[in-house]
Amino acid sequence: MSKKLSKEEKKNRKKVKPGRLAKREAMVGIAFISPWIIGALMFLVYPLAMSFWYSLNNIRITPLGQFFNYVGIGNFTQILMVDTEFPLELADYVISTIVSVPVIVVFALMIAIMLNQDIKGRGVFRLIFFLPVIIVSGPILGMLNAEGAGSVTAIDIQAITNAVEETLPKSIAEPISDLFENMITILWYSGVQILIFLSSLQKIDRSMYEAAKIDGGSGWECFWKITLPTIKPMILLNCVYTIVYISNNDQNAIIELIKNSMFSGTKEKGYGYASAIAWLYSFVVLLIVGLFALAFIAKKDVYAKQVKKAKKAHKKELREIKRVGRRSARHAKKREREQAKQH
Amino acid sequence: MRKKLLALMLTMSMAVGLVGCGGGKQEKQDPGKVKMTNETETVDIGGITYTKSKDLTEDDIELTYFHFDQDETVTYLKDRFEEIYPNIHVNAVYENVKTYNDTLLSLVNSGDTPDVIMFSDADFALSNSLLADITELWKSDPETKDIATTINDCNIGCFATSKRFAVPVKFFPGVMYVDRNVLTKLNIDPPSRNWTWDQMIKLIKDCTVKDSSDGMPYYGCGYYNRLDSYYGIAAAQTVQGEFGFDGNKFDLTAWAIGEQEFANLKQGGYIAPVTETIEMEQWMGDFQGWCGASSHVALFTEAFWTYQNTWATENYKQYNLDIVPYVVPAVSEEDAKSTHHSIATIDFGGLTTSCQYPREAYELLKFMSFGKDGWKTRIQLYNDETQTNSSGLPLKQDVMPAPITTDEEVWDQYTEMYCKGMDDEHVGYWKEFFASCMQPIPYGWTSIAGYWNYCDEYFNKLDIHNKVDNGEEKAADKVDEATQKANYYHASAMLQYFGKEGYDILSDEEISKYEEMVKENS
Repeated sequence: MSKKLSKEEKKNRKKVKPGRLAKREAMVGIAFISPWIIGALMFLVYPLAMSFWYSLNNIRITPLGQFFNYVGIGNFTQILMVDTEFPLELADYVISTIVSVPVIVVFALMIAIMLNQDIKGRGVFRLIFFLPVIIVSGPILGMLNAEGAGSVTAIDIQAITNAVEETLPKSIAEPISDLFENMITILWYSGVQILIFLSSLQKIDRSMYEAAKIDGGSGWECFWKITLPTIKPMILLNCVYTIVYISNNDQNAIIELIKNSMFSGTKEKGYGYASAIAWLYSFVVLLIVGLFALAFIAKKDVYAKQVKKAKKAHKKELREIKRVGRRSARHAKKREREQAKQH
Repeated sequence: MRKKLLALMLTMSMAVGLVGCGGGKQEKQDPGKVKMTNETETVDIGGITYTKSKDLTEDDIELTYFHFDQDETVTYLKDRFEEIYPNIHVNAVYENVKTYNDTLLSLVNSGDTPDVIMFSDADFALSNSLLADITELWKSDPETKDIATTINDCNIGCFATSKRFAVPVKFFPGVMYVDRNVLTKLNIDPPSRNWTWDQMIKLIKDCTVKDSSDGMPYYGCGYYNRLDSYYGIAAAQTVQGEFGFDGNKFDLTAWAIGEQEFANLKQGGYIAPVTETIEMEQWMGDFQGWCGASSHVALFTEAFWTYQNTWATENYKQYNLDIVPYVVPAVSEEDAKSTHHSIATIDFGGLTTSCQYPREAYELLKFMSFGKDGWKTRIQLYNDETQTNSSGLPLKQDVMPAPITTDEEVWDQYTEMYCKGMDDEHVGYWKEFFASCMQPIPYGWTSIAGYWNYCDEYFNKLDIHNKVDNGEEKAADKVDEATQKANYYHASAMLQYFGKEGYDILSDEEISKYEEMVKENS
């Protein structure tokens, strides 16, 4: 058993220098991760720190240099208390994201399950669903939307919009109407998610399905009891991916607002103002990610929980049997004693 | 030891190399103080005699020209400029208008500011102090006297200050196109060449015939530009910019009259349907149809370039149109009798504040924009129909501007090139038009400080055009508030751009005046 060293002993203890091999190994390790460290410092930590510093300043960028005027939280108060644009756009964004993320993820899951079936031309179908990811960039998407290709022509959008607007408040009805109006566009966003689901579906052990089938489980039951619980971590991953994609998309009105603010000529706006919007926006995006994470992070495995519950019930049952046995034994002894007394 | 010595030597040689490369940089000149000496010589290149300035540096230098002009044309001009001044290498960089400001500001941010730039949004250029003061260069240049009169008279490019920051680069005159064949079919006399605004409105109404003999309704006007923009300038000769800007402040009264008049015409059914509407489908039987190809519209408020890149092309001969240009009419009969102010699309350019060689950069800017020599080169290029853009279209048909210089030689060559293939009657129409369009007033966002911010943050959000067109609101009801806001934005911008924190060129009186304006209108 190792002895715990006192502070004095620790101090007095001679420092053991690492050997040459250990040093070399450490250097190799550092060399291998240094590209990431340098990259993260240059392209993540530094820009983040700079953009936060920008958000506290009013900045003018001129050919003769950058001029910073420290305004503290001035940009944030301007955005939230004076200008109306960002809060309004943000409200629209939050509602539309919360509405469209489940639609995209569920659609991706459905397509992934279908593509996982043993069908002819499976590869071609997979390619078709992944094509939008490769082809559809921001400008192309913009052009397609402008041509009216973003909605399903067979759906009577106007009727849905009217129905939604009659039953719900305008602020909630609008994002839902938008969802139907841009149904195709939204579904185009699901290429990567389909791929992620597909890879996780292929990892599920086939023997589990066979066992379930032997026990008389239907396809429906297999989906709920085997498929869904197994791919649950991927649902969260896809939700996060979808939120990030929607939030940083070229079509996103807040991204447009940030860009416009960057290049605006008004005194209040510019890089500082745009950075402040970006920080506020990131915070909200993180909150939405957190919201979905709360809904999908499984604290414990459902089956482990059920097994534990069953074991507990079984133990309780055993205890009950023992108790009943002991009680019966007691009663029997008592009866014997009483009979003996009578005799 | 040997390794260390080798490393030391390499380091030293690199340091020496860097010092050597970094040396020889000329000290930056203040563009505001640089003048032209006007000492010149002539050189003949490609059949054109150029006037070469002798006061330019003889050192080998490089200038960057950042633009959104027609790329092939600029490349041609750049090559010719380099032939005239072989020691000046020009790096012409094209950027799409959509991403122009973003890219330019990124370049500025990274310390790669171009020497000469084009811009269309004055607020963007001024708020970032991109434009250098070129007052002395402009004043000492004799060619700036031979330029469309309003440029100097209304201080266009000076942004209501005593200094000049910008020069007109691309000029597209405002024009009213009349289809004479429609007038003939409807048995209506062509309007007077000195027509007034009311005569134009009458023509629009007279030419609207819903129950025509061929079953397809005729419309008086097909629009690309709304009439309110035209009316605001046409209303009075004191107006120097959109929304009744008189050089100091705005007054949207005239704009509201034009806005309401246009809305009334729309509501009255005198305006042809626009593309991609049900009305268009019902009228031309094509959802994506364009009224310019209908042969059933008398007057068009199209852009200047529409004639050359659309109506003058072979494809459009099938529509049997006879399009002739008319000047944008003045409101008062007095103004209409002579040449008068009319709205025009003008893109501006300037030197940047970090430009190391202002004299040379100015020469380049002039060559690319209003300069006679540059225009002679452009006309030579436009005449050569084998010179095409990336789509194979002759450059003459690719958004070709008009010269803003008044030089007769340039205009004679331009008119000859422009009217190639036309009969004398049509050449006469064009000559008459070109003579009457030389008092241009540019759109506000290119020439008035604070205008774009005003539109972006206030005016466009009113959705006033749609509301007035639909009859939901009257334009006159918005005049007071909109004028107040416009003046507030302008005064704030003047203080911000040209006050102590900006170029610092405003006098104390001017600062007090704008501060007072901000107070009054906030």
